[in-house]
Amino acid sequence: MVVGNLNVIGYGLAAIGPGIGVGIVFAAFINGVARQPEARGQLQGIAFIGMALSEALAILGLVLAFALPA
Amino acid sequence: MNRTLLAAEELNPLVPHPVEIIVGTIAFILLFLVLRRTAFPQFEKVYAERTDKIEGGLRRAEEAQEHAQALKAQYEEQLAGLRAEAARIRDDARAEGQQIKAELRAEAEAEAARIRQRGEEQIAAAREQAVRELRGEIGGLSVQLAERIVGDSLADPARRSATVDSFLAELDQMTPRREQAAPAGGAG
Amino acid sequence: MTTLATAPSPGFDAPGVEDFNLPPIFGEVTKPVLLFVLAAVLVWAFFTITSRRPQLVPSKTQFLGESFHGIVRNSIARDNIGHDYLKYVPYLTTLFAFILVNNLFGIIPLIQFPSFSHPGMAYALAAMSWLIYNAVGIRKHGFVGYLRVSTWPPGVPWWVRIILTPIEFLSNILLRPVTLSLRLFGNMFAGHLLLLVFILGGEYMLLHSETLLVNFLSPFAFAMGIVFTFFEAFIQVVQAYVFTILTASYIGTVLADDH
Repeated sequence: MVVGNLNVIGYGLAAIGPGIGVGIVFAAFINGVARQPEARGQLQGIAFIGMALSEALAILGLVLAFALPA
Repeated sequence: MNRTLLAAEELNPLVPHPVEIIVGTIAFILLFLVLRRTAFPQFEKVYAERTDKIEGGLRRAEEAQEHAQALKAQYEEQLAGLRAEAARIRDDARAEGQQIKAELRAEAEAEAARIRQRGEEQIAAAREQAVRELRGEIGGLSVQLAERIVGDSLADPARRSATVDSFLAELDQMTPRREQAAPAGGAG
Repeated sequence: MTTLATAPSPGFDAPGVEDFNLPPIFGEVTKPVLLFVLAAVLVWAFFTITSRRPQLVPSKTQFLGESFHGIVRNSIARDNIGHDYLKYVPYLTTLFAFILVNNLFGIIPLIQFPSFSHPGMAYALAAMSWLIYNAVGIRKHGFVGYLRVSTWPPGVPWWVRIILTPIEFLSNILLRPVTLSLRLFGNMFAGHLLLLVFILGGEYMLLHSETLLVNFLSPFAFAMGIVFTFFEAFIQVVQAYVFTILTASYIGTVLADDH
């Protein structure tokens, strides 16, 4: 028998989308650097901003998993 | 595992601790203010100096190049002047040399002419003398010869000289004839 | 609350939220409070030592401080804010260094507690960044102008605007500081929890398990703990970088002429 909190399941589901999103962001970043290595500096900042923005959803999920009553 | 369950009243991790916020914020703001006044201006100063040094170096290099260009132009101008002057001097020297050569040649020619004239004169004098001596000798020889041939009949000097003179005149007349005949007859 | 205790090993109590409730050391002073002060002192010492007697050709220590300052100055501030970026470099550098040191406390032996896994200071720093970029925007555009710039995207039909404007307001004004602070807090919290799971789990497998096989398997847990320590080191640097670059990017967006 497994005892637990449904919130954690919810967080797991919520992390799927941001995971894919972060993957897409960095795939595009790698593509961009492969095409134009000299643009690496600019792309890096943009990539991290994009990662942060899509990761925010996962973080919100994590926080809500703790914040909402079980 | 000594799990601390005494802080059970604050189990939600999202609830902040006020002390942390207060102390942390004060520490952060103090850090920011201190660093903004001390450390970061130093870095900025160094960056500015470095930029200035590089840009100043570039400007100095440009100035040096301009200076060098001006000097080069000046030198080239001077060089052109010098070259013209050298050409002029060379032309002068050549003209002078030719003049000197012509003078020398004229002098030498004059000298040669003079030497030749003197030589001719000497030759003429020698010839005259030779002719004169020869005449006297021929006269004597002829007289001796004639005395031997005709005896003492011609011992009288007056008659003798008249005879010799007439003989010599005949010879003189004969000489041009022989000279005229010489190129044709080839005889000496 | 969130412990997923499995039936076969009722003895192992998986690490959870309660592990972050450290007992106060004295009075109201907890471990993170001391860590914040320590971090401030460390950062101050670092920059003071590296900026002492600056020279045109940097010494090794000066080079350290200069490269740190230079990264924040050139690749974070200048690329994201644009002209006029110099005003914000001190704040961003302090922010980056302070967060980085506090994060790295999570993997430094004997300290081993990322102080941002307590959310208080993350809230405070996010609030500070929020105040700064809003103040910058209001000073540049005026209050109404700033609201208009940040919630009224140009060239949008009115019926889209009914939906878009509240969303823009929500995401630009309200949610930015929330995500900014929660991202930092959540990463540190989850990362620390992850390390706790591997290390405490390994310890339990080694010392408290009755099965011999499980005892012998515990090195794998420790090995994973070490691997994730390196991963955490990476995450900690990235999170400090992201917090700083997002602050710079918000300031840059607010300062941009055409929004």
